Amino acid sequence: MTTAEFGTHKWGMVVDVDKCIGCNACVIACQAENNIPINTQDRVERARSISWIRVERYWEGDFPDAKARFIPIMCQHCENAPCEPVCPVYATYHNSEGMNVQVYNRCVGTRYCANGCPYIVRFFNYWEPVWPESLRNHLNPDVTVRSRGIMEKCSFCVHRIRRESRNARSAGVEIADGAVQTACSSACPTSALNFGNFNDPDSKVSKMKEDKRHYTLLDQFGTDPNVIYLAKIDADKKVGAGEAATHG
Amino acid sequence: MLVPVLAIGGLGVVAVMGVVAAFIITGWLGQPIPVLGFEQTFDQPIDFPHTIHASLKELDHVAADGQTMEGLGQDCTFCHRTVTTQANAGIPPVAFCASCHQVIGAEDNDQLMILRDAADIVGDDGPSPVNWRRVHRLPDHVRFVHEPHIRYLTANPSEVTNSTDGVTEGPSGVCSTCHGNVAAMQQVEQVESLKMGQCVDCHRDNGAPTDCAACHY
Repeated sequence: MTTAEFGTHKWGMVVDVDKCIGCNACVIACQAENNIPINTQDRVERARSISWIRVERYWEGDFPDAKARFIPIMCQHCENAPCEPVCPVYATYHNSEGMNVQVYNRCVGTRYCANGCPYIVRFFNYWEPVWPESLRNHLNPDVTVRSRGIMEKCSFCVHRIRRESRNARSAGVEIADGAVQTACSSACPTSALNFGNFNDPDSKVSKMKEDKRHYTLLDQFGTDPNVIYLAKIDADKKVGAGEAATHG
Repeated sequence: MLVPVLAIGGLGVVAVMGVVAAFIITGWLGQPIPVLGFEQTFDQPIDFPHTIHASLKELDHVAADGQTMEGLGQDCTFCHRTVTTQANAGIPPVAFCASCHQVIGAEDNDQLMILRDAADIVGDDGPSPVNWRRVHRLPDHVRFVHEPHIRYLTANPSEVTNSTDGVTEGPSGVCSTCHGNVAAMQQVEQVESLKMGQCVDCHRDNGAPTDCAACHY
């Protein structure tokens, strides 16, 4: 077995909701990193905007004592993903690195996967992507530009994983914990988003997910996501893991 | 499905069968048809001879003074500098060519004069890049990185197919696996299909990942 061999990792993310300040830096970083077309007002109004990661905001309480709650939501890379079995062309599947993969060149655009996804994190390209002339040369060359009729979603910045594993193999070492950072996690100013390898029991994310605040979104569907959330700590009331799971 | 066509008569059936047969044959061969514009080679803005630069043998080409020439035997990485470290092999900038060719090469060599003009050694229109045409092109949804392939083949010379003038080792020899014997090409052409089947075959034989997301992302 060589070092940093393909399939020896299980990539995942731990989102500490308590640290999220709702700044949307992750959203911008993701849009820029992954060649996502600009969401114009027209597209948003038609509910056809594309945003691989979004920060949902909830208000809790009434005006004087209102509290804003933020929760970043991206593809949960479910172990038991509802989007996978419905694809007629096997364009989305679970790979040996624990990621839910979208293969653009296989996708025929049936949109069954988007209908199956309870997290609403799959987006369909209704148009050919266009950018203003000034942004044409700003595209990331490591990420495919998705054409019209293709489903897309968060890839866990697979191109960054590939790059780091290549570097590690080239140097003959294992991928160091924290070497692979997704665009969103590297942009997060409060380290609410943490990316790493769940197969390594000593990795930062493996330790974080042992926190008793941990929960997964829409747990009742049994999708077994690879994105683990840590519940908000509220000084005013006692929030257990079970109570937090109903939030959102 | 063929019923409306049959109604037209025998000619229609032949036409449909012909189209279907053409699809099957082209699909089966898996090779683009040159007549449709998918040429395997292009005329370049400068007739760059890989033979003179990279060949290890005596050339067919005879120099202006009637002497036989021998290839310089330059390593591929001499010009394609980033091939062992990065995704792209890299085309050298004009200034790099000019570092030799401002001195080397006859004054009346019209191809070299194009280069010297581009490098602003002659002429007064300033430096300009040479618009080389890309011969080996993969689709946009494929992420090919040279570095790991060169590294693997350098470590495993037994997996190298083709050869660069008989050499199958070192950074020059391994390139022949996908690019053929470029050192013997007056004009570079694509000799391997470089379709996904070829990639997957090789990946499978060598224990490389065949996961879709290894290349498509």
